[in-house]
Amino acid sequence: MNGFREPSVLPGFGLTLGFATFFLSAIVLLPLAALVLKTASMSWADFVDVVSSPRALASYRLSFGASLVAALINTVFGFIVAWTLVRYDFPGRKILDAMIDMPFALPTAVSGIALTAVFAQNGWIGQYLEPYGIKVAYTWLGVTVALTLIGLPFVVRSVQPSLLEVQRDLEDAAETLGATPLYIFRRIIFPTVLPALASGFTLAFARGIGEYGSVIFIAGNLPMKTEITPLLIVIKLEEFDYNGAAALGFVLLAMSFVMLLSINLVQAWARRGVVTARR
Amino acid sequence: MSITLDQVTKQYQGNPVVNDVSLAVAEGEFFVLLGPSGSGKSTLLRAIAGLTAADHGRITLFGRDVTQVSAREREVGFVFQNYALFRHMTVGENIEFALRVRRVKPAERARRRKELLDLIGLPGMDDRLPTQLSGGQQQRVAVARALAHKPKVLLLDEPFGALDAKIREELRRTIRSVQRELGITTILVTHDQEEAFALGDRLGVMNLGRLLETGRPTELYTRPATRFVATFLGAANLLLRREARSGSDLAPARAEGETDSPLRDRRDQEVVAMLRPEEAELAPDRDALLTAFLGYGHVEELQFTGALERLRIRMGTEGAARSSDSRSNEGETSAMPPVWIDVTRTQPEQRAFPLALGQRVAVGTRRIHVLPTPLSSFTACAESRDSAAILMGNPWLVDLTIRMQTRLSAQVEPLVADDGADPVVAPAGVAVVTAGPDCPARVRRLLARGVTPVLCLPEDAAPPSRVIVHFAGQVARRSTLAVTASLLRHVPAEAVFLGILPSDSSERTRTAGLRQLLDVRSEAQAGHGLDVRTELRLGERIEELLRELEAQPGQMLILGLPEPGSLPESFEALLTQSPGWPVLLA
Repeated sequence: MNGFREPSVLPGFGLTLGFATFFLSAIVLLPLAALVLKTASMSWADFVDVVSSPRALASYRLSFGASLVAALINTVFGFIVAWTLVRYDFPGRKILDAMIDMPFALPTAVSGIALTAVFAQNGWIGQYLEPYGIKVAYTWLGVTVALTLIGLPFVVRSVQPSLLEVQRDLEDAAETLGATPLYIFRRIIFPTVLPALASGFTLAFARGIGEYGSVIFIAGNLPMKTEITPLLIVIKLEEFDYNGAAALGFVLLAMSFVMLLSINLVQAWARRGVVTARR
Repeated sequence: MSITLDQVTKQYQGNPVVNDVSLAVAEGEFFVLLGPSGSGKSTLLRAIAGLTAADHGRITLFGRDVTQVSAREREVGFVFQNYALFRHMTVGENIEFALRVRRVKPAERARRRKELLDLIGLPGMDDRLPTQLSGGQQQRVAVARALAHKPKVLLLDEPFGALDAKIREELRRTIRSVQRELGITTILVTHDQEEAFALGDRLGVMNLGRLLETGRPTELYTRPATRFVATFLGAANLLLRREARSGSDLAPARAEGETDSPLRDRRDQEVVAMLRPEEAELAPDRDALLTAFLGYGHVEELQFTGALERLRIRMGTEGAARSSDSRSNEGETSAMPPVWIDVTRTQPEQRAFPLALGQRVAVGTRRIHVLPTPLSSFTACAESRDSAAILMGNPWLVDLTIRMQTRLSAQVEPLVADDGADPVVAPAGVAVVTAGPDCPARVRRLLARGVTPVLCLPEDAAPPSRVIVHFAGQVARRSTLAVTASLLRHVPAEAVFLGILPSDSSERTRTAGLRQLLDVRSEAQAGHGLDVRTELRLGERIEELLRELEAQPGQMLILGLPEPGSLPESFEALLTQSPGWPVLLA
C-alpha cells in the first residue's frame, strides 16, 4: 500500500532475505531434504511396507493421539494459568511465572524419569491411583502426561501477551452494555485470545509429536501399545535399518507439516478481522 | 432529579479518592465534571456506572437506588477515553452489541443500527472494522454503541482526550447535538475547562476527591467561592485585601461576595480577592485610570498571542492605596507574594496605550470578586524569630499554604501582653501558634485582640487524614462551618461533624440534638457546598473530643469557641496534650 519503501532499522532487504534463506536452508531445509532423498532411495513397495506395518500404524496413533490430547489439555489449563498470572496479583506470582518455563530448561530425560517415579505404582501419585485401577506409568496415559508437561509453557507463553492486551475497558464497556460475565468471556475475551491460543496449541502439539526423551521413560515402550513413532525410528536406527528410519521420519514430517499448515490457515482465517501490525 | 449522589465515598488503600460527594443532576441536563488528573472525577463517574463500587453513600438513578446494582443492570451508556471498541467486530456489530445481549430481533436491531449511524453522521459504515476508522470516527461509533439500548443516562469519560484539536471540536459539536436531540441526561468528565464551558449546562469542579462547587459556567467563572475553582477555570490573580474596621461599606463598589464576620469591627479584616487578567486596567498613572486603583507596577513580561496581549506586571510597594488617602474608600489591597499580576489586553486596549518592557504602569481593577473564605493567609506567631521560623517550616503548613496559594509570614509576639497598647498590629488572616503548655496563653492573647481563626500546631504535626469538627454553642456555628468548608477544600481528609450532648440528657434533648446535626449538614451543604458526615455523642464535651482525638493518630480538630474572643479553661486540655494534634479555633 505504501508508495515508497520506508527505511527499516536493519539495512538491505536483499541482504536480510539472502541471509534468512541461507540460514533456513542450512539448518532446516538441507537435513530435511536429506531425509527425503534417503527415503527416495527406497522402492515404493518397501516404503509402503515399512510405513504401513501394524507396529508403525499403532505408533502413529499413539504419537498423534497423545499429542493431540496433551495439546488440548494444555490449551484449557494453560489458558487458566495464563489468566491467573495476568489478572491476579498474589504472593509468589513471580515465582509461579518463572516455574512455567521449567519444562523448557529441564533435560527431557530428567522430567521423564521424574514423572515415572511419581506415577509408578509405588510413586507419590501412582500409589493413590492404583486402588482405582488407574495406571499412568507404562500406559498411553503416561505418554499424555509427559507430553502435557512438555507442552504447557508453549500455551502459557503464547496466551500471556494477548491476555495482557485485552483491555479492562473492553470488559467494562461490555458490562455497561448489559453483558453477563459469561457473555463477556465468550464474545469479548475469547475471540481476542483465540489466535494466540491456537498458536500455543499448535506449538504444543508439534512439540508433542517430536518429543522423545521424556516419553520413553514413562511409556514402557511395549510394541503396539506404548511405543511412540520417534522411538520406533530410533529402534530402526539401532537395527541399522536406515531406510526404514528415514521412511518413518518422512511420514512424521509430512503429517506434521500438513497439520501445522492447516492450523495456520485456520488461524489466518480467524485473524481476518484483526489488521496486522504495520510494517 | 435523574442522577442523585448522596455522600459517595471511595477509598483506595485508605486514601479517599472520592470524598463525600453529593450531587443532583436534573433530567436532560448536560453536567460536566471538571478537575485535574487524580481529582477523583473518573472514579466518581465509574461509581455512577457501577464499574467501581462505592465504599459509602448512595447513588440513585431516576428514583431507583442503584448503589448495590451491577453495571449491567443500571442501564447507563458509558463512553471511554480510548473508545474501547470491540476490534474483532464490525462497526455494525459493535453498535448492535447491547441489543444482541438483550435478544432484540434482527430486523429491529438493523433499524436501530441505521438510526444510530445516521445520528452520529457515519451512515453506511456498518461493515467497516474499528481499526479502519479514524480516532474521531471510532469515538462516534463508541457513542452510538453506548446509546443503542436507549439508556436513560449517558456517561462520558474524557471522550476527547485522545483526539487532536480539530477533530475534538467536531466531535464536541456532534455530542452536544446528539444530547440535545435525545434529551438524555449526560455527565461528561474532563480536565479541559474550555471543553467544560462549551458543553456543560452546569459544571462541577472536583479536587482532591471533593466536589468543590457546582454551578452554571458563567457563575463559576465570575463568582467562584474557592481559590481552586478561581484558578482552575482560567487565569486569576489572587489578592489579599485588608478592609478597614468599619466594615463592608468601605469595600469597593464592584466587589462582590459576602464577607461579613462577627469580628469584623474588632480588627482589620483580611479577605481573598480574585482579579481576572481581563478585568485589570492599565494606564500611565492613576489619574488616567477609569477604574479603582490597585497600585503601580512595572511590565516584566509581554507576550503577543494574537487576539490578546499577555502581560505580567511586577507590583511595587509604592503608591498602594492607604486609608489616609482621599480615594482610599477601597481599603488597602496588596498582592500576594510573589507580587505579580497577570493582565490580558485586547487589541483596542493595546492600541490605546502601547506598552514596552520595563515600563511603569498604574493598575486598576474593573471588577474584583471577593472569595467567601475566612482563611485568607497564615501568620506564624511566636515569641522569637527562631521559633516562628520553626513553625513556618512545618511541612504540612507549607504544603497547605501552597495549595491555598496564599501567604505564610512570621510575626514576633510576646507571650504575655503588656498592659496598654500592643506594640505590633494584630496579625491578619489565620494566626498559627505552637501547641503545648504555653499554647492557651498564646491563644488568649491573640483572641483578645480579635484574631481568629487561630491554628495550634504541634511541632511534629503530620497532614491529617481525618478532621473532627465541633462547635460549642450556636454563636460559633457559622464561623466554624465557614472555616471547615474552606480548609477541607484544600485537605484530602475525611471530615466528621461531632455533636455532643450531656449523657443525662432527656429523650427530647437527644431528638433535638439529632435534628440539629441534620441542620448543620444542610447548612454546610447549602451555604458552602460542603458535605460533612455527622455523628452524635453522649458525654462530657472535652472528654468526648479527647477520646475521639486519641483514638487514632493523624487527626485534627476544628473547634468553634462558645464565645468569640475567649478560651474557656476547660478547653485548654485540647491544646496542651502531647503528642498533640492540630487544632483550628474558629
